[in-house]
Amino acid sequence: MEMLLMVLCLSMFGVAVAALAFGAATRPAATPQKPQPAVQAKPAVSARFFSDRVLPIVPPLPQVPIEVLLHQIENHVRLEQAAAESFVEFPTEALLYRKTTSPLVN
Amino acid sequence: MQHELLVGLSSSEVEQVMALGTKTTVPSGGLLFKLGDPADRIFLVERGRIRLTLPMLLRGRDEEVLIEEKSPGQTVGWSALIPPYRFTLSASAPLETAVTGISREALLQYFDRSPRTAYRISSNLAQVVGLRLQLLQAMWLREMQRTIEQRASASAS
Repeated sequence: MEMLLMVLCLSMFGVAVAALAFGAATRPAATPQKPQPAVQAKPAVSARFFSDRVLPIVPPLPQVPIEVLLHQIENHVRLEQAAAESFVEFPTEALLYRKTTSPLVN
Repeated sequence: MQHELLVGLSSSEVEQVMALGTKTTVPSGGLLFKLGDPADRIFLVERGRIRLTLPMLLRGRDEEVLIEEKSPGQTVGWSALIPPYRFTLSASAPLETAVTGISREALLQYFDRSPRTAYRISSNLAQVVGLRLQLLQAMWLREMQRTIEQRASASAS
């Protein structure tokens, strides 16, 4: 009986030592959880990621000289006026919405 | 050449009306009148061409953009006969152009003396104004149609 109690105590001691050893072994893993800031830093990183994605500027479309643009507008107005005159002379829906070759709308 | 404003008048009536006016030559690139100016004369184009323009902001710069062109026989500046007697467009000559300008005062006095001619000219003026309205209405509708098509294709993509 005494032997049995001794074995039981030793087993419990062994279990306690093993538990302590396990605790000590797992503590370093628990400690890194402390740096929660590292987790909080993530959004900052991702925010920077998104801003980096937005930052690149789309290169502007090549602008034609203003004289060329004015010429295109005048040409457009003439074509539109001719189309409108055709419609007024002979009003049909097809003539009203007849397409022109104006580069401003094509 | 027959002026659209004087259609239906006898040759003596045409002579009387033309005698009310003053012939002016606008040099190439010259300005006949400017948007907002008091309109006290109506112009009949005799030779050359008149550009009717409106200011438009293009890349931060005010530019005169062509709205309509008038050829010999056509009428310019009918704002002179319609309140509030202010030009609603600017008119310039892309090449040397001759016009006959008739003052509102002289024309109205003549109308008082000759109601038949007044009726003819007013009728012709109504056609000129009506044609402008029809043309601009059609042009505006075409523009609206394009805007709607663009918006429909943008929302579909």
